[in-house]
This record gives sequence, structure tokens and C-alpha cells, in this order.
Amino acid sequence: MKKGLVLVLLAALCLGGCQRGGGEAGGGGGRQRIALVMKTANNPFFIEMQKGAEEAAKRLNVELVVQAAEREVDVEKQMQIVENLIQTHVSALCVTPSGSREIVPAIDKANKANIPVVIVDTRVDAKALSESGGKVATFIGSDNYEGGKIAGEFLAKKLGGKGKVAVLEGIPGHETGDSRLRGFREALKATPGVEIVASQTANWERDQGFNVFQNILQSHPDVQAVFACSDLMALGAVEAIAAAKKTGQIAVVGFDATSEARDAIQKGTMDASVAQSPAQMGALAVENAVKLLKGEQVNPEFVVPIKLITKENAAEGSK
Amino acid sequence: MRARGIGLPANFFSHYARQLGTLSGLLGMCVVLSVATPFFWTVSNLLNVAEQAVIIAVVAAGMTFVIITGGIDLSVGSVLAFAGVVMASVLQAGVPVPVALAVALGTGLGCGLLNGALITVGRLPPFIATLGMMSVARGAALMFTEGRPVSGFSGSFRSLATGEVLGVPVSVVIMVGVYVVAHVVLTRTKLGRYTYAIGGNEEAALLSGVNVRLYKAAVYGISGMLSGLAAVILTARLNSAQPIAGMMYELDAIAATVIGGTSLLGGEGTVVGTLIGALIMAVLRNGLNILGVPSFVQQVVIGSVIIAAVLIDMWLKRRAG
Repeated sequence: MKKGLVLVLLAALCLGGCQRGGGEAGGGGGRQRIALVMKTANNPFFIEMQKGAEEAAKRLNVELVVQAAEREVDVEKQMQIVENLIQTHVSALCVTPSGSREIVPAIDKANKANIPVVIVDTRVDAKALSESGGKVATFIGSDNYEGGKIAGEFLAKKLGGKGKVAVLEGIPGHETGDSRLRGFREALKATPGVEIVASQTANWERDQGFNVFQNILQSHPDVQAVFACSDLMALGAVEAIAAAKKTGQIAVVGFDATSEARDAIQKGTMDASVAQSPAQMGALAVENAVKLLKGEQVNPEFVVPIKLITKENAAEGSK
Repeated sequence: MRARGIGLPANFFSHYARQLGTLSGLLGMCVVLSVATPFFWTVSNLLNVAEQAVIIAVVAAGMTFVIITGGIDLSVGSVLAFAGVVMASVLQAGVPVPVALAVALGTGLGCGLLNGALITVGRLPPFIATLGMMSVARGAALMFTEGRPVSGFSGSFRSLATGEVLGVPVSVVIMVGVYVVAHVVLTRTKLGRYTYAIGGNEEAALLSGVNVRLYKAAVYGISGMLSGLAAVILTARLNSAQPIAGMMYELDAIAATVIGGTSLLGGEGTVVGTLIGALIMAVLRNGLNILGVPSFVQQVVIGSVIIAAVLIDMWLKRRAG
């Protein structure tokens, strides 16, 4: 009777082991193993990042292990993944922090194990890092503040310097979303005629983007534009606008320029989206990790360029 | 009647045997992982796994009491978040660490007793009462912090997670302590006996003079209080209390409990089994990470193990019965 349970558990583990092509678990072949720990593996942004990292790893002949928590906000699972990878003596660790402060204890542990840490996409809270004495080799990401600012300037111009704007925020306390929001608000300060009448979180989610914007439309039927801190939320708002039969009357600006958002911009249901280059971030992360392992100097920071995608340039680079 | 009507002697062997089954499942996994990778069977990794099991194990200890009474507590993850942010705020206001701990446990206990009152006095089904509390406590945590994490604590507080006693992490020592106490309470006290009695046959327990309301409420109080304790450890570990912490932990805690042989129908189960269940989940996640299994495959494997463990448990029960 005990055997039954043992057998099933063993089978489950073997299934897991085989998936990996077996045999490599010991980091064989003497190739260096670089780990990329992402916030999640089920978001277009991170899928692109993984692709970029994998291509770079192939090019540079290093082994790449990619892991992610099931849910983007699960800081404890991300910490567990980092701890487990440290146990396998990975040579370098690239990580997109699920929490800007909550990642710091994991960085400390990597430091202790002498594993260089490359931070990607989301900045680590500088104060928390300096308090713990943790060390980060380099940061690779785009300037989210600047991205928010570009989006704000675009909307202000589009509205002719006057109008009512709604904002869909990400999860509060997330560095990326907070920076986008600050940049956006800063840009609007230059045009006092443009007023933010509602600003609410839709928790990065598409269906919440729909619901929240529908509610905003109820309380502010005269809203003329919406800025969403991610395309998923923006696409939710697009649906809410369509449901209210107001397509074309409300300007929609998102963030990330996912392929779906680019399609929407070409169709005219969305007006613009701020493009980051997640694939480039992934590639740069691996490249810099390899440099660090060779003992080369790397810049403390790489800013991956951002640009605004509008109807004029939506076709290029979309897949 | 009270001592024997619970049926402990009759169930004793099957309990014991089933724990052996679960334990050999855990050991079997360890053997396979030790063969598959040189990184698993090391002192540092085993301590690492134990540390990773702590949060779910502590929550699941309370969940075991609740499930033995035939109930369920869906609010544990949210209560954890709420207790965490309340404690973090008072800590940052300069309150000494022991007082902050009392605040965390008290907040958890309060939420749990409120669950208990809704279930006993309000006669709500446990599923509904704790589902409501799950949303209320989560919302309260978000309101309390305006959605932002509360972070940065003193070294003495953080040592609850980062410190060691004779090389063993303090959090692991706390977990072992919780399980020793829970085991004694469940097997050697009136509260424990009544917990089984209520789950076995509530009507019979009531007729034989058990104050069912009181003990049922107490069981939800225990669950809430242990969520508060888990909040302390999690906050110390991450150096941050997040209002969105602990989402879906209720499901992990329920999984650990049922893998450990506790029946969702109530009346049977042990905390020792739950501890083994929590360790199985932690070893599984650790092993899959170490083997570099892609994250999507990991979810399939974890789900399959939960289903298989309960299937086998039911099959054993049918054979035994």
C-alpha cells in the first residue's frame, strides 16, 4: 500500500525530469549555467524576454535555466526559486524582481554564495538594498518614468491641451507601474487644461481593466482619454469603450506595445502604446552575465530604448 | 463515552499506517532526487527546503483542526496579509518586537474568532463565512496600507527568519514547536478530542454534552492565530509585509492537509500527516526547481501529485473499511 504512493510520486518526478531531456541536472559539459528568474512566464512581455535570453545563451554557448513563479506578484515563491537555484550553484543569476524591496533578501543570499546578480526590467529599491548591504552587478531595463512622460505628452497634444483623462494603474507599490504613473502625471503638469478625473488600479489585468473603466465611464461619461499602465488593461478599456458604443471618441494609450496592442492601434481602437524591448532586455541580461563571469567590467546600468508606437509605425516590428 | 466515542482506538492503526504511507512517499521522493541531482541531498539544501515549508506548514496546522471538524477555512491567506500589515505598521511605529508579535497573533485570532462566530452563532456554512472573510481581510489589508507594502524592519525582528539555533533556522524551530503543541493538543486534550467528535458526528457530540459552538469557534480561532504567526515569519523573511501577500495560500494549506491524510469530510486526520504533506509540497517544488523543469510543467506535476495522493488515500480507506 505504501508502494502505490511512492510509485506515483516517483513517476511524477520522472515526468518532470524527463521533460528536461534528462542527464543535464548536474550542469554537465562544463558549460556555465546562467539562471533567469522572471516574474511570470505567462505574459507576452516575459515570453519575449525569455526568447531574447535564450537566443543570446545559444549564441554565447552557455546553459540557460529559466524559471518563474505561477503568479506575477508572488514574492515568496520567487524567493524560493532563487534559493533553490543558489543550491544548484548557478554561475550567475538574472532576475526581474516581483517586488522591488522584497527581492532584497534573495539578493543577499546570492551575494553570500558569490553569485553575481543582474537585475532586469524592475529596479530594486535602492534604500532597501543599501540597508541590507546587498550588491547588484548591473541593472538592465527601460526608463519607465520617461515612458510615462512620453505617453502623457502624446495625450496632451492629442487633446489639444484641454480635456478629461482617466488612468488605469497597476498594482500599487510596483516600481514599474509607479514610475510610469509619475512620468505621466509630470507630463500633464505642463498642460493644466488636461485634468485627471479618475485614477484607479486594475491590478495589471485585462478583465479588471474592462470593469474598472466601465465604472469610470458611468461616473465620468465625458472622459476623453485613458492612459493604462499596461496594454492588457488598455485592451480591457478598449472593450469597455466598444460596449458603451464610444469607439473612436475616447483616446486610449497603453504601455508595452504587445502585438495585440499594435493590431488595435492599426485598427484605430487604440491610439498609442509605449514600446519597450523585452527581447533585448533578455539578451542583454545574458550577455552581461557572461561578461561578469569572464571577469570583465560591466556598466552599472543599461537603459534599453523606448519609443511611442502610433498608427504611423505600428506595423514595423509587429509579429 | 467521550474519550472512546471519538473512535480513536479503532482508527488508530489506520491513521498510523497512512502516515507511514505518506512518509514513505516523502522519503521516496528524496531518494529519487538524490540520485537525479547532486544538489538535493546536502545539509544546506535540506535546511533550505525546511525553511521553504514553514509558512504553508504553520498555516496548514490550523487548517487541519478546522478540516477535522468538517469545516474549511478559505480566509487564511488574507488573514495572513492583514495580520502582517497591521503588525508591520505597529513595528514601524516603534513598538517592541514581543508586543508586535502579540498584535499579529491577536489580529489573526480576532479574524478567526469572527469566522467562528459567523459559523456558530450566524449558522453560516464555513465555506461561505470564510469566503467572505477572505475578501474582507484582503480588502482591510489593502485599505490599511493604501495598497503599498510596509517594509524595512530591525535586525532583531528579522532574526525570527534569518537567525539560527545550532545551525537550524529559527523559523524551522518555530514550525517544529507549533507541530509539537498542535499534536499534543489534538491527541491529549479535551479540545482535541472534541475536535474529532464534532467532525465525526456533530449531532452526537452535541447530544453527549459537548459545547459544540465554543469548540468550533475555538478551532477557527486557532486557524486565524496560526495565520498570524505565519505572517510574522513571512514578514521577517521578506523584510516586508505586503497587503497582497498569501494569495492562494489557502489552497496550498488545504493540499498539504489532505495529502497528509486528513479527510475533507471531517472526523479524521493528524497534524503529523499534515507536516509530512507540507514537506512533500516543499520537496516537490524544490526538486522541480533544481532539476530546471519549466514552470508550466511544474504546475502540472504539483497538481498531479495532489490528486494522486488523495486518490491513494481514498483507495486505502475503502480497502481498510
